[in-house]
Amino acid sequence: MLFLQSLLSGILTGGVYALAGIGMSLVFGVMNISNFAHGDLMMLGMYLAYFAFTLLKIDPYLALLLIMPITFLFGFMLEKVFINRVINHPHQNQILLTIGLGLIMSNTALLAFTSDPKILTTTYSSSAFNSASGISVSVPLLLSFLITCAITAILYLFLSRTRTGMALRATSQNREAAQLMGINVAKMSAIAFGIGTALAATAGALIAPTYYIHPLAGHSFLLKAFTICVLGGLGSVVGAGVGGVIIGVVESMASTYISSDWKDVVVFMLFLAVLLFRPQGLFGKKGGQ
Amino acid sequence: MKRKFLSIVAAIVMAFPLLAQAAPVKIGFINSITGKEAQIGENLTNGAAMAIEDLKAKGIQVELVKEDDGGDPKNALAAYEKLVTRDGVIGVVGPYTSGCANVVASRADQYNVPLLVPAAAKEEITMKGYKNVFRLNAPANVYSMVLMDAVKTFKPKTIAYVYAATDFGVSTVKTAQENALKMGLKEVANEKYQQGQPDYRPSLSKVKAANPDLVFLVSYDADAILLMRQAKEIGLTPKAFLGAGAGYTTAQFAQQTEISNLVVSATQWTDDVNWTGAADFAIRYKAKYAKEPSYHAACAYEAMRIMVETAVKSGTAAKLQVALKAGSWSGIMGPVKFANYGGFTNQNNHPMLVQQIQNGKYETVYPVQFSKKKLVYPFKR
Repeated sequence: MLFLQSLLSGILTGGVYALAGIGMSLVFGVMNISNFAHGDLMMLGMYLAYFAFTLLKIDPYLALLLIMPITFLFGFMLEKVFINRVINHPHQNQILLTIGLGLIMSNTALLAFTSDPKILTTTYSSSAFNSASGISVSVPLLLSFLITCAITAILYLFLSRTRTGMALRATSQNREAAQLMGINVAKMSAIAFGIGTALAATAGALIAPTYYIHPLAGHSFLLKAFTICVLGGLGSVVGAGVGGVIIGVVESMASTYISSDWKDVVVFMLFLAVLLFRPQGLFGKKGGQ
Repeated sequence: MKRKFLSIVAAIVMAFPLLAQAAPVKIGFINSITGKEAQIGENLTNGAAMAIEDLKAKGIQVELVKEDDGGDPKNALAAYEKLVTRDGVIGVVGPYTSGCANVVASRADQYNVPLLVPAAAKEEITMKGYKNVFRLNAPANVYSMVLMDAVKTFKPKTIAYVYAATDFGVSTVKTAQENALKMGLKEVANEKYQQGQPDYRPSLSKVKAANPDLVFLVSYDADAILLMRQAKEIGLTPKAFLGAGAGYTTAQFAQQTEISNLVVSATQWTDDVNWTGAADFAIRYKAKYAKEPSYHAACAYEAMRIMVETAVKSGTAAKLQVALKAGSWSGIMGPVKFANYGGFTNQNNHPMLVQQIQNGKYETVYPVQFSKKKLVYPFKR
């Protein structure tokens, strides 16, 4: 019973991690940029959900319909104004730029919203479905997981069936060749960054009802998103999805059977093992960067 | 001639501040104004500011030099050294966190400038025999002792610990285990967690499986709400939730009535305790800052009042040390005296209070002589 309970809560938490990882992986795949502002974009989503709930009285899950287009535009604009300029530059310049953008965002949030953690309390924040065998499933976490699945499915269809989606994948596979085939790679980069931002903000909004909202809350998720990407294979959307769930389950199992104090150690040992034996990640292309 | 004249003028100009120095006495205040502990730090800032205002109203002038440690012991030590060497303060109030206070305390005897710690709980701070370190609040071991004393009459048999892997968490649980041993409580689960995680369900499920009578919790602000939410979710219902200070004593926590009702916590101070001026302090604080004063605010207020009143009479750091050691006070924190007992030096034997959230409000329930309401036991949802 303890096993099933931890497995379940691991999978559900992992779903939200996965969403954060997918956004980061997509950006890396298309643009070959590691986005270190990803955690802060998640934080942005958390605050948007919080203010939609407290000021506009919109349910945080419903608010996604508002948050996604807003953050997509924000990401699109960020790419056009900043990221675009370093796309052919060395990695360290890109890293510095995204870290800088992240710092500006988190510190602006600190100034504007202070360091008091905000708590988003919905009517279902601490409710759960309880089965007769004693296993309970958190209502908000289950909702988040289902929404994650739906978004991932839509993203998958978008990438595999639409013209823009195929152009994105072509850019991801080979930027120069895609350009030669007449794909507007600059536009694809902006779209990819917009989607990445929207996914990060969505992950933030989804976790907001079960977590607390703080200007620096994104930082712990940044590390997780990065681990997930490398584990699943940088640039692989499916890999990031699976990687997220794996991390969620491993964390949950480690805290049940070892100690919650040690769960990060177990996660990073797994991470190191993947890097040693399968450096391209679980779903990565061989010989990729 | 001209040069001689100039030097006389310069000498006079330089002499004047010395003459004027007879006026206000200089006191330092180290606090976490920024950084992770800034939220609680703000309460200390407000409490200390109110003390200075009240003293001004009584005609006592003081020059307060404020320093921010950002919650970092390194900065706290630098702040203390700056205060005593450059600003020439004769006494220092602060720092807030245990980590910072412990480091600063270790240097106080070197500079011979008294340090009055208002709210840091780590026992070690006043256990090393430093003659210039004084502490107003009760140390960490009292948190668990008073909580267990409060439920003793109900004869619980088992206990589980859930706590943050921080200095405060680990040291509080260590003393709780000693107290539990004395009471004959059996430990059935021990879950140390890293702060800021989204999922505590696995740890809490383990605790639930062990079915303890008491669950002893140590967490900072937001984690407390997260833990109690997830505890409700998985249906963890012991006979009592005992929260040791910090996250379980905030107004934000009490407002979450669905999860916080009937949670018991230990605190240094409440606004319904019958100590002189406590209720009045709470009313004035609420009017001024539009929020409930936490115990940190009361501790900072009283520490600042005692420090300034004593410093004004003493005038030098050495005399201040003697006066703090010899004096006794009574105010919003009850009777205060810095004594040596049970391994502690210059420690105020502060009686801690046990409060329980009843209908969204903190009610003092123990010790009986300070409380109006009764403890509700066992816990129910």
